[in-house]
Amino acid sequence: MSQSTPDTNIDVASLVEDVNLARIGQYVLVILFIGFFLAPLETGIMTALKTNEAVARTIPLAPPTGEGFTWGNLQFALEQLSGAFFNSLFMAIPATIGSVLFGSMAAYGLTMVRWRGQMAFLILFLVGIFLPYQAVLVPLARFWNNIFPLASMLAPTFETLPYLQDYHSNLVPLIITHIAYGIPICTILFRSYYQSLPSSLVEAAKIDGASVSKIYRRIVLPISKPMFGVVFIYQFTQIYNEFLFAFTLITGSDTPEAVVTLILPAVGASTSGIDFGIRMSAAFLAAIPTLIIYVAFAEQFAKGLRTGGG
Amino acid sequence: MAHLALEHVTKVFEDGEDEIVAVDDVSVEIRDGEFLVLVGPSGCGKSTTLRMIAGLETITDGEIRLGETVLNDVRTQDRDIAMVFQSYALYPHLTARRNMSFGLEESTDLADTDIDERVTEVASMMGISDLLDRKPGQLSGGQQQRVALGRAIVRDPEVFLMDEPLSNLDAKLRAEMRTELQQLQEQLGVTTVYVTHDQTEAMTMADRIAVMNDGRLQQVGPPLELYHAPENLFVAEFIGEPSMNFLSGRREGSSFVTDRIEYPFTETIADAVGDAEDVILGVRPEDVEILAAGDGSDPAREFEMTATVVEPMGNENVVHLEFPGETTGTEDLVAITEGLREIEENESVTVHLPEETIHVFDTATGEALHTRQLELDAQALRL
Amino acid sequence: MGAINIENLTKRFGETTAVDDLSLDIADSEFLVLVGPSGCGKSTTLRCLAGLETPTAGDIYIAGDHMNYRVPQNRDIAMVFQDYALYPHMTVRANMRFGLEEEEGYTKAEREARVEEIAETLGISELLDRKPDELSGGQQQRVALGRAIVRDPEVFLMDEPLSNLDAKLRAEMRTELQQLQHRFDVTTVYVTHNQTEAMTMSDRVAVMNDGRLQQVGPPLELYHAPENRFVAGFIGEPMMNFVEGRNEGDRFVGTYVEYPFDATIRDAVDGADDVVLGVRPEDVAVDTADGVDESDLGDYEFVMHVSVIEPHGDQNVVHLNHPGDTSESDLLHALTGGTDIFEQGSEVVVTIDPSHVHVFDGESGDALHNRRIGPEAEVTNV
Repeated sequence: MSQSTPDTNIDVASLVEDVNLARIGQYVLVILFIGFFLAPLETGIMTALKTNEAVARTIPLAPPTGEGFTWGNLQFALEQLSGAFFNSLFMAIPATIGSVLFGSMAAYGLTMVRWRGQMAFLILFLVGIFLPYQAVLVPLARFWNNIFPLASMLAPTFETLPYLQDYHSNLVPLIITHIAYGIPICTILFRSYYQSLPSSLVEAAKIDGASVSKIYRRIVLPISKPMFGVVFIYQFTQIYNEFLFAFTLITGSDTPEAVVTLILPAVGASTSGIDFGIRMSAAFLAAIPTLIIYVAFAEQFAKGLRTGGG
Repeated sequence: MAHLALEHVTKVFEDGEDEIVAVDDVSVEIRDGEFLVLVGPSGCGKSTTLRMIAGLETITDGEIRLGETVLNDVRTQDRDIAMVFQSYALYPHLTARRNMSFGLEESTDLADTDIDERVTEVASMMGISDLLDRKPGQLSGGQQQRVALGRAIVRDPEVFLMDEPLSNLDAKLRAEMRTELQQLQEQLGVTTVYVTHDQTEAMTMADRIAVMNDGRLQQVGPPLELYHAPENLFVAEFIGEPSMNFLSGRREGSSFVTDRIEYPFTETIADAVGDAEDVILGVRPEDVEILAAGDGSDPAREFEMTATVVEPMGNENVVHLEFPGETTGTEDLVAITEGLREIEENESVTVHLPEETIHVFDTATGEALHTRQLELDAQALRL
Repeated sequence: MGAINIENLTKRFGETTAVDDLSLDIADSEFLVLVGPSGCGKSTTLRCLAGLETPTAGDIYIAGDHMNYRVPQNRDIAMVFQDYALYPHMTVRANMRFGLEEEEGYTKAEREARVEEIAETLGISELLDRKPDELSGGQQQRVALGRAIVRDPEVFLMDEPLSNLDAKLRAEMRTELQQLQHRFDVTTVYVTHNQTEAMTMSDRVAVMNDGRLQQVGPPLELYHAPENRFVAGFIGEPMMNFVEGRNEGDRFVGTYVEYPFDATIRDAVDGADDVVLGVRPEDVAVDTADGVDESDLGDYEFVMHVSVIEPHGDQNVVHLNHPGDTSESDLLHALTGGTDIFEQGSEVVVTIDPSHVHVFDGESGDALHNRRIGPEAEVTNV
């Protein structure tokens, strides 16, 4: 509703009634909470912009002044991370698209198409969500390294591709792993959205003569755009920030194909101790891609939440 | 050609251990070009029946035939039918034009230009030519309704199926669309099965009405036949607004007797009732006569009653009547009088129940023993 | 006690004016129905009364007290919503008690007793321990009413409370609601878009359109003496027939029909150019045209043909067209008795008695002349 213009002669009595101790108390509490949540963020930004000497000298919350201010931390962190950024995005974007797309297809098949044995498949998907990462790490590493060494099979091909080096092929097993692990949760999220759609839409398309796959492509897929926004943001954040699979399948922070989450712990660490300014700068830089995704999909995200899917 | 036949069609839903019989042995034939309305209260199985014709539900038992083809095992996509849904089920991401052309693209090999021509032609027939480039979200309820109808018509199917298509419209628009839909169907001559819970729609639009209750077919016939010659209590009560009045009592000799009144049967009625014991007397509100004082000529069938509530409708008044001494708070009879006839609330009136307007039902079975006498011949009832 | 005065109420949302300078006095214990098509401002008016919207201008008084700046809970009103708005996690008892708990001056036992008493009057005593989703639509409706009644407010506000019920139940609840209102004798403002509810339940009807009040009066006054074309068309089902044409002094001339004016009508319409003839469907008499010669027809008789006949059982709606008219729309609708049946496509003689005719101004829509009613019928009082 838009704002209504109030009358000019204001009833003072009822205004006074509104201003009381309870209301003042409420505002004080709100301000305290805002401070509590924003303080760490502020500390981080300030530290990122301070020289090492200023970090030691001033309290964390204080802004950098004069000599203490520097862009150097950010520059250094960016240099350290630039390769890792490429690796992370090269891995996270296909993995996200893959898991979201397959999840949506699976959900369509499990919700809007009727067939025998549906329930058993659904349970299988549910089990997939609850399978702990730690339990599969060793078999996973064995599988990709010894049984089916996809990375080394692809390496020669990758070398010939523009922008890529042979070592990038090491990311492919990671992509496939993330897709496989992402499908169950994506399926469940899409399923709840598809259940809320009127079944008459699919029935109308059926009567219009469309086949099961046509109905998905031409009706269901376009309609679930808002839900794609939600699941895409969620899944991208998950995969981009994931550490355990990356650590298992890509050996360490010193390899050229290492992703951001692997590099991050090493940035700013040296024999002389931890450089907090660099560490903070790197952390903020690493967060930027997820922020961009949020902003890009914000409208779809809000729509998706409104339609009650997520 | 498009003669649609349902033979002993049964649908059983399994709900865990329980079996729910939604449609129970329904047989009905729908002639080519006929407008059949399936009507009944919610949960009576009418929508399930329609969905079986569409192929959206499987048939547990029995057979559905379209012309010579048995439809039971034909996929929905391959049946030559079009359906209009209660919620319209327009594709929200497509324009009205694309909504209408979708079915033709999927089910025929027509060239794009031919499809476009058909859509344009049907749109102008439906008066929605200017709306073709809008999406459903930008259309009013009535306009969406027209697009949904257009989508069905453009396919030129053998059979139209309609599932309460007017129930989301407001009263005035619904009355308009009723006539329009009926004229459209007549013009196109396509066999139509129309499901509704609204008896007014059934009465005004149908060539024949099939009344269902509890999964069973109650009666099939032209509207006025159902109105004037209902075969059982359910049909008598369901068809007609306000409902038929019912008085429960006993037959004693050749009279109908309750705690309050005694109503003598004529010879014809007495013969028809035979030796049934517990019977129900039925009379339509418009047949209940409220007499001016001293105007009676049939004292045995006249009763003193009190008007408890008078509802003015303008063109008529609905008068709720109670027998004196009643304290139950529920009315005994409802009468309809002319709009300008004034009756005060709590006024005492004389009520006449004319012998020729009386229906008699068997209390135990609900079967009609006698239905009102009409001067009209059966042909007139078919309109 | 619970009289309501609305003075020059205006409510704007941004650029759109939802309610435009509405003034209305509602007497204590009156049942007033606010009726109009959707978007006419009737619900906004009700929400202003309830305190859920702030008026842009104008004043609202309930029982003589100025209400504009009072929050809803201090207005001593109870509201029944279209979707009932029952609290789904509470039993019926708790739902009904909830409003009382906010009110001071009751002991716990008194609250219980009050809930039981009201439940008894509404016939929902056995439902008190159920949750809303275990109730049918009609039962939920009753609980919603009970929740309103239990607080014993000065004013009931009802926002389309019957529109979610099916036709038979709605007709029943209509009568019941009316009787309840009589029994509790509380001023009631009832909003609906359904003219049948307005006609049958109200002491007075207020018709709104486009944010403006069109007419206020007892139901039959609106039916027989509408002040303008909107009210005439909105009240009555099937709706009044309108035929557009010109005033040529002694007669009405339309595209297909000419209708002579008698002295009374002539005086009333004097000076108007474009006029609209109005006649209720039940006042259009239809007879078979068998053996009738066109030259035998009187001034008020016309030959027409039947385009559609809609049987309702107790009556038939006959759609009539002039033989020369090829357009899709019908010229007239007539109501005939249930057993007066005319063949579709047949020719009939239509008679319109001059005492049944309304005339409206073609431009302003104002009624220039309303139908005459014999002295034996006092239409303003039912």
